[in-house]
Amino acid sequence: MALRLLLFLWIAAAMLGGFLWAPLVTALGASTRVLYFHIPSAWITVLALGWSMLHSVQYLRTRRLDHDDQAAAAAELGVLFCIVAAVSGSLWAKAQWGSYWNWDPRETTIFFLLLIYGAYLALRSAIEGEEKRARLAAAYSVIAFVTVPFLVFVVPRLHATLHPSPILPQPGERGAMDPRIRICFLAMLAGFTALFFWILSLKVRLVRSERRARQESAAQS
Amino acid sequence: MNGNLVVLGVALLAWGLLFLYLLRLERRIRDLEKR
Repeated sequence: MALRLLLFLWIAAAMLGGFLWAPLVTALGASTRVLYFHIPSAWITVLALGWSMLHSVQYLRTRRLDHDDQAAAAAELGVLFCIVAAVSGSLWAKAQWGSYWNWDPRETTIFFLLLIYGAYLALRSAIEGEEKRARLAAAYSVIAFVTVPFLVFVVPRLHATLHPSPILPQPGERGAMDPRIRICFLAMLAGFTALFFWILSLKVRLVRSERRARQESAAQS
Repeated sequence: MNGNLVVLGVALLAWGLLFLYLLRLERRIRDLEKR
C-alpha cells in the first residue's frame, strides 16, 4: 500500500511541478505541458509492445500460459497507451501545426501501429482454444514487433516531418530542456513506467484468477 | 479562471479517480485469489 501511495504522490507531484514550477518552452507556449503526458505514453507503448514480444518468445519456447497472459496484457496496455499518445499528440499538433491530424509521417506510423496491434487483439478474440490462441498470438506478436522500431524510429526519419526527433538533446546542446522541465519530465516517465507495471500485474492476476475459477468449475461439473 | 489551472485540476482529478479505481480493483482481485 505504501508503494502505491508513493506512486500516487509521485505522479501528482510531477504534474504539479510541470504546471506550476517548470517554465514554458518559448516556442511551444502553454502546450509545453502536453510533453509530460505525450512522451511518457509513447515510451510506455514501446515498452509494453516490447514486453509482449519478449513474453511471446518465452511462450513459444516453454509453452507456459503464464507468458501468454503477460504478452496479452502488455499488448492491450500498449494499444491503450498508444491511443493516449496519439490523442495527446493530436492536441499538440492542433496547438503547434494548426490541425489535429495532417498525416505527418509520425502520425501515419502511429496509425499503422494501432492497426497492427488492433489486429493482434482481434486475432486473440477470434480464437476459442487457449493453447491455439496463445500459439498463434505469440507468433503474430513476434512478427508485429519487428515493425515497431521501423515505425517509431526509422520511417519518421526517412521522410520530412514536423515532429521533433525522439532523441532528446543533452544539457548544453541546442534545444536542450530546461533543468526544471527535465526533472518533471523524467519524474513522469518513471511514474508512468511504475504505473504500467502495476496495471500489468493486476491484469495478469485477474486473468489467472478467472482461469483458475473456470478450471475449478469444470472439475466440479 | 486560468486555463492552465483548469487543465491541471482535471489531470489531477483524472489521476486520483484512476488511482482509486486501481486500488479497488486490486482489493477485488485479492478477494478472488483468496476464494
